Amino acid sequence: MKIRIRTFVVTSTLILMVAVMAFSLDTSKSKAPFVVMKRDSIASVAAFKKVYSVLMSPRCMNCHPAGDVPLQGDDSHLHAMLPKRGLEGKGKYAMKCANCHQPTNIAGLNKPPGHPNWHLPPADMKMVFQGKTANELAKQLLDPRTNGNKNMKQLIAHADDGLVKAGWNPGEGRTLPPLSHAAFKKAWIAWLSNGAYAPEAKK
Amino acid sequence: MIKLNINKKIYNLDADPEMPLLWVLRDVVGLIGTKYGCGVAQCGACVVHLDGEAVRSCVTKLSRAEGKKVITIEGLSENHTHPLQQAWLELDVSQCGYCQAGQIMSAAVLLNENKKPSDQDIDDAMAGNICRCGTYLRIREAIHLASEIQGKERS
Amino acid sequence: MEKTKSNINRRSFLKASALLGGGLMIQFSALAKFDLPAKSVDGINAFPWNEINGYIKITSDNVIKIINPNPEFGQNVMTSLPMIVAEELDVDWKKVIVEMGPHDSVKLGAQFTGGSNSMRMYWRPLREAGATARQMLMEAAAQTWAVPVEEVTAKAGVLGHEKSGKTASYGDLAAKASSLPVPKGVKLKDVKSFNVVRNSQKNVEGAKIVSGKPLFGLDYKHEGMLIAMIQHPPAFGMTFKSFDGSQALKMPGIKSVFSLKLYEDGFEQGGFDTRTFNDVLVVVGKTTWEVMNARKKLIVEWVPAGDVKDTMAGRGGKREVVVPGELENTADQHAKMVEYANKPAQVLRKDGDPETAFKNAAQIIERTFNAPFLAHNCMEPMNFFAHVTDEKALLVGPLQAPGWTEPTLVKVLKLPADKIEIQMTRMGGGFGRRAYGHYLVEAALISKKVNAPVKLIYSREDDTTYGIYRPMYTATYRAALDANKNLIAFHVKGGGIPEHAIHPNRFPAGAVDNYLAEGWQIPSNITIGAFRAPRSNFNAAAEQSFLDELAEAMGKDPIDFRLELLKRAKDTPVGKNNEYDADRYAGVLKLVKEKSGWNGPEHKKFSRGVAAYFCHSSYAAHVVDMTTKDGQPYVERVFSAIDCGIVINPDAATNMVQGAVVDGIGNAMYGGLTHKNGVVEESNFHKYRLIRMHEAPKKVEVHFIKNDIDPTGLGEPPFPPVFGAVANALYKASGRRFYQQPFSSPQPSAIPAV
Repeated sequence: MKIRIRTFVVTSTLILMVAVMAFSLDTSKSKAPFVVMKRDSIASVAAFKKVYSVLMSPRCMNCHPAGDVPLQGDDSHLHAMLPKRGLEGKGKYAMKCANCHQPTNIAGLNKPPGHPNWHLPPADMKMVFQGKTANELAKQLLDPRTNGNKNMKQLIAHADDGLVKAGWNPGEGRTLPPLSHAAFKKAWIAWLSNGAYAPEAKK
Repeated sequence: MIKLNINKKIYNLDADPEMPLLWVLRDVVGLIGTKYGCGVAQCGACVVHLDGEAVRSCVTKLSRAEGKKVITIEGLSENHTHPLQQAWLELDVSQCGYCQAGQIMSAAVLLNENKKPSDQDIDDAMAGNICRCGTYLRIREAIHLASEIQGKERS
Repeated sequence: MEKTKSNINRRSFLKASALLGGGLMIQFSALAKFDLPAKSVDGINAFPWNEINGYIKITSDNVIKIINPNPEFGQNVMTSLPMIVAEELDVDWKKVIVEMGPHDSVKLGAQFTGGSNSMRMYWRPLREAGATARQMLMEAAAQTWAVPVEEVTAKAGVLGHEKSGKTASYGDLAAKASSLPVPKGVKLKDVKSFNVVRNSQKNVEGAKIVSGKPLFGLDYKHEGMLIAMIQHPPAFGMTFKSFDGSQALKMPGIKSVFSLKLYEDGFEQGGFDTRTFNDVLVVVGKTTWEVMNARKKLIVEWVPAGDVKDTMAGRGGKREVVVPGELENTADQHAKMVEYANKPAQVLRKDGDPETAFKNAAQIIERTFNAPFLAHNCMEPMNFFAHVTDEKALLVGPLQAPGWTEPTLVKVLKLPADKIEIQMTRMGGGFGRRAYGHYLVEAALISKKVNAPVKLIYSREDDTTYGIYRPMYTATYRAALDANKNLIAFHVKGGGIPEHAIHPNRFPAGAVDNYLAEGWQIPSNITIGAFRAPRSNFNAAAEQSFLDELAEAMGKDPIDFRLELLKRAKDTPVGKNNEYDADRYAGVLKLVKEKSGWNGPEHKKFSRGVAAYFCHSSYAAHVVDMTTKDGQPYVERVFSAIDCGIVINPDAATNMVQGAVVDGIGNAMYGGLTHKNGVVEESNFHKYRLIRMHEAPKKVEVHFIKNDIDPTGLGEPPFPPVFGAVANALYKASGRRFYQQPFSSPQPSAIPAV
């Protein structure tokens, strides 16, 4: 009897782990949460301000630089050794992202953070965060010509993209974004589902 | 046991899969051409080829290398005849020499992907490899020369 | 022909005529088929060598091996020193093989790599060694052929007697030569007739380097060797109160965990016994990775060490020194320097009446220059192998000055010097750092404690945060001009933590009637040591930058202004102890002026800076051409003029100057090490910024003054003036002067152009 129970527990844990992994690693197939769409500019803009605070934090902005070189560190300095974006956003020659950035984080301070799909936005769709106002960034995120041709559903699903979520698992010694991933996702969906309003452009 | 293909030779290693490839090569396999410089992927002294990419072995776990082809400086050519090695010797690039294996391994990926690299291409490929003696000018020149040697060898 | 008195004593001519065994012969024959230009060849120690003297061994099959006495750290002495022997021995360089000698001051001289000393120290002894051996071979031929030695010739490894038509290789007569008495006062060649020296020869270890052969200390292996790492305190001024190593000991592969005291209380430290942390924790295990992991499991209570008493010996005699226990901060260090700069200081040199001249000046220009601590950052971190038993010790690894560490090992290990064998591997950089042998002593004590062969390895962070840095410097320069803008007085007052940089007898001392040099220093627990061109590397930045500003204030061209001062120093020198030769100094300035096309309109697109300096008996001047790249200042071209006397190996010398220029740009622009509560803030290359490929110039054009002066230093002299030239170019580029190193912030946040 005892043995059977233990087997059951182990199996179910395994299934759970596989499910979690699938969810975090392969977002293209994961379903977007069911969302009721409405229009509320005040709620939408308020939510985007929260989203903006996360996107402009080093954990997100560092891989959405204004130039072709990623940023690094909590002070978002130019990435030492100037690795270049390359056409696919995966670096060039001997300086491809994955040459240093491993599939997972590695123990120890100042080591490259890891993810199996570490990259910058590709050269034809740079999705720059650095230097953008909330208004500019909101519009850029919504415009299919600049957001990788994503529709609303795909945008909502993008909150759970593996590399996006890597921002909350940045490796030893790095600060986290100002909101938890759950709070970010909530704000992200609230922004989009309330009409996806961009905050007013400041003059 | 982890099976590793290093320089076209199969090794069955009894080592922690978490151990960085650098220390597997140096302490377990005994290939010391790959150098320890910083341990945090900053200096490039430890560059080896993993399925043709210039990975930094100091942050690459042994488990990542399993089933892939590892080439180290010792396996880049027979008798230092790779165009880069020829060029390095022709221009007498090295000073202390400690970083040069990593420099050559990085440059080899550049030359694989770009037969005639410009100075800008060399910057883009090589800025990850530190030379404390400051032999950068000769490294640059040697990569251009190696590109010529490579061109002639293929024609 | 030069005549010389032999400096080689009888003891250095030890004889060793090995018996030829069949096995040896077979091995030899197999190897002899090699074309031997590979130069540095392994596995030939079984050869039946005839030792002609400590530097030269020859087999009967005419394989000629030259022993390099001085440790190699990238300055290429492995090639250039044996070249000198080969020249006077008169052999075909292509057939020579080269080997690094062990520590043996009887046979191989002082064996010190540092202070740009190799050539100055070995030029005569190695020429004499080569010439004396050649003479002995000729004598052997004369005796064998029963002809007068005056009729014997020796050229390119062949002995001959014209009248009889007899010839023999050096190898044929090596055994006999090695048994002959050592002649005195042999003739040396005319330096104009050299054909090995003054010709470019390739690095003898080049092929090994590019193919990953074992060369460095970290590559050294020994049967049964364990790996050790030390855990030093996290901050200067701290020590451990207690520790628990039980968790670390449980980790896989770990053999031993313990604390280690380096020097006993009252140990009289010599000048290079500097060690930063006397009490450290040690983890010993099988592999580097296992030891690194286990070390993280040490549970340690670190506490402030408080003031510590050290007993110093050596220069200045035995004395007690108190090392302050403060946990230092960079901001406080700056504030303290400002405070000290306003206090009276030690007068180092005074000519004329500078006080009155400054009082009467029509204009006074005063500028203060600052520079941070610098870490050496040798690419190969500190490490050493030790195998110590009750009877003897073997130590192998990267070391600049075995002769300075051996006496310390004698004291610490309580073994006689002849029971301590030190072998030097190729070094992955040195820059002065490896003159401080604390890591040998640590390795030796660890080996003794665990009773096994051990290699001590520093991680990069261990290396960077250990100390032995270039000191933190400041200097205030003042110049007094009269109403006609003539320079009437010059004053420099410099300080440092814990040493100042002032060279009181260097230019422009000797060129100004009223001159004052002063120095002061602030004690600190942050340990310092020689760093490529110690002190000069700061002076050349500050003084050469100040002279540039002075020339501008006087309405003069910066090169012409310096030449005027040097003319004064030559024609009517002020004072007696001026260290430099004004003509040679002016020579490099004139050469760099010519080669760079100074003031030429075609160079308008560059921001140009010039600087020159004298140190280590050599002279260097650079013109730096700056542009911008990715929005950052970029040194695109450099013209260098060097006077180091005879250039032994021109292409390698050029490489060294190019490297020094790149190193200078890097340290001037980016180098710096700061502290927060005694903790180093730049523990690895992610924060300690070193120059990289894209920041290196496109061209460094090197020109040597051609003369027949005995060679002087080259490793260091080209380095210091780069700092000044870069500062002066930055002024041209930006319109503002740069007084604080590094000239660029550690990490630029500007965005390069897409």
